[in-house]
Amino acid sequence: MLWQIALYILLVVILFAAGFRLLRKHEKKNRQLQISKKLEPYLFIMPAFLLLLLAFGYPLVNSVLMSFQNYKLIEPGKVYFNNFANFKNLFSDRDIGLIMRNSFVYVIASVGMQFLLGLILSLALKKKFRGRGVYQAIVFLPWAFSAFVIGLMFRWSFNGEYGVVNDLLIKLGLITEKIAWLGTPGLSLLVVILAMIWMGVPFFAIMYLAALQSIPEDVYEAADIDGCGAVRRFFAITFPYIKPTVIMTLLLRTIWVFNSFDLIVVITGGGPANHSQTLPSYMYTRAFSGYDFGLASALGVVLMVILAVYAVIFLQVTKYNKAGDF
Amino acid sequence: MSSKMKRNLSTLGRVLLLAAYLLAVILPIYWMVATSLKPHTEIIDAQNLTYIPQNPTTENYEQLFSMYNYGSMVKNSVIISGSTAIVITLLSILSGYAFARYSFKGKGTILLFFLITQMIPGILVIIPLYLIFANAGLINTRFSLFIYYLVVNLPFCAITMRSFFERIPYTLEEAAYVDGCTKWQGLFKIILPIMFPGIVAVFVFAFIGSWNELIAGTIFISTSDMWTVPVGLKSLIGKYDVKWGVLMAGGVLALLPTAIMFAVMQRFVVEGLTSGAVKG
Repeated sequence: MLWQIALYILLVVILFAAGFRLLRKHEKKNRQLQISKKLEPYLFIMPAFLLLLLAFGYPLVNSVLMSFQNYKLIEPGKVYFNNFANFKNLFSDRDIGLIMRNSFVYVIASVGMQFLLGLILSLALKKKFRGRGVYQAIVFLPWAFSAFVIGLMFRWSFNGEYGVVNDLLIKLGLITEKIAWLGTPGLSLLVVILAMIWMGVPFFAIMYLAALQSIPEDVYEAADIDGCGAVRRFFAITFPYIKPTVIMTLLLRTIWVFNSFDLIVVITGGGPANHSQTLPSYMYTRAFSGYDFGLASALGVVLMVILAVYAVIFLQVTKYNKAGDF
Repeated sequence: MSSKMKRNLSTLGRVLLLAAYLLAVILPIYWMVATSLKPHTEIIDAQNLTYIPQNPTTENYEQLFSMYNYGSMVKNSVIISGSTAIVITLLSILSGYAFARYSFKGKGTILLFFLITQMIPGILVIIPLYLIFANAGLINTRFSLFIYYLVVNLPFCAITMRSFFERIPYTLEEAAYVDGCTKWQGLFKIILPIMFPGIVAVFVFAFIGSWNELIAGTIFISTSDMWTVPVGLKSLIGKYDVKWGVLMAGGVLALLPTAIMFAVMQRFVVEGLTSGAVKG
């Protein structure tokens, strides 16, 4: 297998080099030659394209195949097609409804709050003030932070016994008993969502700030002269201007948040009893603690179907934007 | 209410809002740093939680290196993230240039393909890759993570690089060609120097993306001498006993390089982020 990969890399390099040699020759012979001009961009893109095609294409096909197989890593000799057994197992799993619901709550709540807070933050940052650069450098930092370390921070802060959150709430008189945040159904997912929001607000703020700064100032001046109020100004000018960015970021972010589960792995491990498990994190758990790759792949196929439906909607909406309906 | 008062009020509201958000960002970070500086006995004294370390100590940081071999984790992470970022930057320059400067058959489809790879959940790719790597004897090697980080970070970087290219007026190159430059000379002598900040931004994207990743690391790497920083730190979370002081110290050190990179390159990173993701 190693030699196959090495061979592949070698092949790409050789093809690439040969292509350029050919081009060079042609160029010398006839600078205007159409073929060389036409081939150039493909040569530039080929290394990246082939690499991605192989690295995403093969695993995806393989996933689909495995989802119809009895494929358990602990029983290496017993790989065979079992039709829809994996899917049957999956849908008769008594936790699957809970996990679906968790995924839904997790995505909607964290994307929704990230969006709202990011929008508010960008509006507050729009006007120049002294120290804005430094302020941005600090509050945008979580974007560059590792989800793993953010997970650690939240797991430690919400620790039932030594956690600072319980201590603060008790000192403020809001609670009398320490809360086992990570051990209580519902609350454990809440902590994950809070961490996700903390991590994701900078992305929205960065995107919207850039969009806001591209709105021409004179539109606002005209509105001021006409005596336009702040609320009206937002809905009549600001929002329509940034709407394409809003749609794009919401759609993209939804997918990223849905797919990412490192926070769950670090903060709760899906617990207690799958109450903070989402579809991708459950797939991870099934694949690498039970080593049932067949079932995990079936879950993967379900994931793909959900994402494909979503992507179709996504592309429809973005095309709508590119058509310049705006 | 006079308009002046109204304006003052809205300024006040804005200041309060910004202050509250700053606090929300800083407090968790502060708590991590504070914990990392406390001795173990102070950390587990649940009755008297101290908000400022009473006996600041560097023992957690020392333990991290002496007992848990943090140096080796950092070395692995730097090697993997650095090599991934270099290769991604080179490939992104090539494909970004083609996307920006040529119109060719299938360009839209290829761009769409790049975009779609960004929507595929990583875990879906990781499982089959795990089998391939296991067959090839690549489990527990840095090469396995290099390959995975390369393919998951490449599409976004290539698309971002494209928009950096698009910002440079084509007339610059044209002038160079008229003066007798070849394509390669034009690219290396004229465009790349102007684009240097953009190139560094793409490098930073790729580096941060690889440096921060946990899941593939836990799957492809199980021997401790190959652990990257997140994988190694995760192993410190035991079932019953968690060394929070050491863990927080490790977290602080893990955040430092990406935080510094981001702070230094912020303007360009932000530019890349806004143009790359929206244009798609």
